[in-house]
Amino acid sequence: MEKFREKFIEEASDLINELEKLLLEIEGDKANNELIQQIFRVMHSLKGGSAMFGFHKIDQFTHHLENIYDLIRNDKLAISDDILDVTLASVDHLRNLMHEGDDSDTRNQVQHDLLLSKILQISDENTINKVTSLTIQETDNRAIDELATYYISFKPKKNIFKFGTNPLYLIDELCDIGETKVFVRTDNLPDFDSLISTECHIYWDIFLATNQGINAIGEVFIFADDQCDLKVNKISDINLLEEESFLGIIDETIKNQKEIDINQLTQLTHDLEKVFIRAQKDQIKEKLATTNVDTNISSIRVSSDKLDNLINWVSELVTIQARLSLFAKETETNGLVPIAEEVEKITRRLRDDVFSIRLIPVENMLTRFQRLVRELSHQLGKDVVFKTEGTETELDKNIIEALADPILHIIRNSLDHGIESAEERQKQGKPKRATILLKAFYSGTNVIIEITDDGKGIDPDKIINQAILKGLIAPDTELNKKEILDLLFQPGFSTAEKVTKVSGRGVGMDVVRRKITEIRGEVDIDSEINEGTKLTIKLPLTLSIIDGLLVQIDDTKFVIPLSSVDKCFEFKHTVLVNSVNNLIRTDNNEIAYLNLRNLFKVEGEAPETEHVVAVQFGDLKIGLSVDNIIGQYQAVLKPLGKLYKKQQSISGATILGDGTVALVLDTNQLITQFAQDETKIGG
Amino acid sequence: MEEKKVDIIDNVNTYLSFKLKDEYFATNVKKVLTILEMKPITKVPNSPDYMRGVINLRGNVLSVIDMRLKFGMPTTEFTTETCIIVINIEIDNEELQLGILVDAVDEVLEIKDSEIGESPSIGTKYKNEFLQGMYKLEDGFIMLLDIDQIFKTEDTILNKEAESLVGLVDITES
Repeated sequence: MEKFREKFIEEASDLINELEKLLLEIEGDKANNELIQQIFRVMHSLKGGSAMFGFHKIDQFTHHLENIYDLIRNDKLAISDDILDVTLASVDHLRNLMHEGDDSDTRNQVQHDLLLSKILQISDENTINKVTSLTIQETDNRAIDELATYYISFKPKKNIFKFGTNPLYLIDELCDIGETKVFVRTDNLPDFDSLISTECHIYWDIFLATNQGINAIGEVFIFADDQCDLKVNKISDINLLEEESFLGIIDETIKNQKEIDINQLTQLTHDLEKVFIRAQKDQIKEKLATTNVDTNISSIRVSSDKLDNLINWVSELVTIQARLSLFAKETETNGLVPIAEEVEKITRRLRDDVFSIRLIPVENMLTRFQRLVRELSHQLGKDVVFKTEGTETELDKNIIEALADPILHIIRNSLDHGIESAEERQKQGKPKRATILLKAFYSGTNVIIEITDDGKGIDPDKIINQAILKGLIAPDTELNKKEILDLLFQPGFSTAEKVTKVSGRGVGMDVVRRKITEIRGEVDIDSEINEGTKLTIKLPLTLSIIDGLLVQIDDTKFVIPLSSVDKCFEFKHTVLVNSVNNLIRTDNNEIAYLNLRNLFKVEGEAPETEHVVAVQFGDLKIGLSVDNIIGQYQAVLKPLGKLYKKQQSISGATILGDGTVALVLDTNQLITQFAQDETKIGG
Repeated sequence: MEEKKVDIIDNVNTYLSFKLKDEYFATNVKKVLTILEMKPITKVPNSPDYMRGVINLRGNVLSVIDMRLKFGMPTTEFTTETCIIVINIEIDNEELQLGILVDAVDEVLEIKDSEIGESPSIGTKYKNEFLQGMYKLEDGFIMLLDIDQIFKTEDTILNKEAESLVGLVDITES
């Protein structure tokens, strides 16, 4: 039971989320009847589920809430902001109830009563005649329409006992699969004198109402097939055993007739059916309005653990496949190479498909932002609309989860500091209603999320003053605009003049940047005074597989993420050694380079010709010297393990075709970590 | 008297003994997952010497510790007998798999608790907290290791280093 409850909580949370989303949607489109229907349906499912799993408080609560929407649905009540406020508050409350169970604390109880009274007020005010269809729906149990009635004539042969079959067990089994009416026929029973106790003389007429189909009946008799005369006939598509009149008729027939005439019976039931179906039609109609019309299963629910497992296996398959390809090439066995190629092709497609399972649209995290904007703008007395674009853009589920908090923070900042009050906006000649736009789109192997507001923007001078005040920079530091804005991401920086409830508690954009870096993303800010602020978040498509450049230093192989690689160059070792200040000439300009051999304290001599991989580091290009470049490689990322967690310059490991391990470099960390010592190294 | 006997029989543990240089050690087999042949180890740059690097264990990355270096002996030299024992240790209620590099795997022993002697406080260079005790053989001793203890301190040391590193970064940035 506990397991089912968990399942229910999971499902109910989804329902609550959906409800919240629909409510926010309807706020902008109050006349949309379809939305009202959907809201009603969601509430109804929630109510049904919670009643079944013993969440009585939720059941009751939703019941009253549902009443309101039933009125709206029937055009007896118009949806208003008041109603939406109450409903949204109720949604929060339901969420609490769900997690705390029915024995919640007093604060919750107060909240519960308060909301309930509000809800009742709304629904009572508007109910003149309170004859709703609700009471009928509750007593009305589903699944009746799936039942069918069968007539089974079961005549065991005389010698059935010799096979060790007990007819009564078979009948018992029948009773298990549905509702039955069993009649014993004893008219073949001989006189007591001639009775042979090891023979079977009786037979049965059975009426069975079940939803398991005729095959289930056949299965019951599967081992007794040749020990009896069995006739199974479907006599109706509905459950006739519930109908008094039918029971009366068969009682009568059994009494008067030795054999039941099937044709006669079906004719009879056919007539009856018509009557019953008409009676049921009204009930079914109502059910259609309340249960989900969409019966096609277009998606299934899978636990994310299973998905993670699947991805692990696919990752392993990718690794093994790389090994197979390598082996095929090396051994040159006839016919092996085409097979390896085929496997490679299938593996790649499998990998793409499996990884796409974990991708979910950005849309999934938008509801809470919408909610935040709605509530916070009310609270702050600002008129703000939250718009979205490209919400179908998909990202790894883990990334979306990790992203929600930083974006909440960004939006909160925007609302609090960025957007002006309505009066001020009018003075500036801006539209009264401010806009926050969240835009998501693909860019190569990255996803970009932009959050733009049309508020007052950020004053660079203010940032500089603040930074000097906080001792983040020296008073005479010369900075360009980008560098100034970048100061916002420094720890302990907050421009809010006074600490408000909303933001400005000292933790700020530095946390945002850290969280985003954790999922291998980048965040940048751009702002124009009086025009607004734009935050750009750049994210990798997935966390578990990357395109990389496989390089070698001594015996160790490294993977440099291809996204940060700019160009590769070849240099004589002597040129590198003799370079001044670790600067080397490439194409037309000079770039600084890090000698990885020295940084990694690799023993042994560098080869005569070394390679330098130029990688992007912010706006700079930095060269990394390696012994050899092997080629492009699809790296399945594996964690390096707990013992190496202080290894910041290495973000993980991957397994190569030959079964050895290559290390994946985090070039940003690597360069930051060693940049200070840059002049000391090399030479 | 009868009861006491039962008690002792209940406490038979199975140990896997292995060789480091000239000395014999053993660990409870409950800790051992598998024994691997020596295979190429990928060195992770700028890590302590006794952390020999990482290997591929059925598609996962496994850290390998050189037990000789860990115990202050000279680096392990690879022979045909060198192997990696994969053990399961517990740090902060978290299970962690780890490979330890040993010179040779010796045998599986059944040792009764009553046969385990206290480790002498003198005459051994290993800290008592890492040892469960000693088991006397005809011609020497086997030191029974408490593997969890050994790596518990490992973790705290690493954590401390990591913390001080973070501290350093904070200072330079602000």
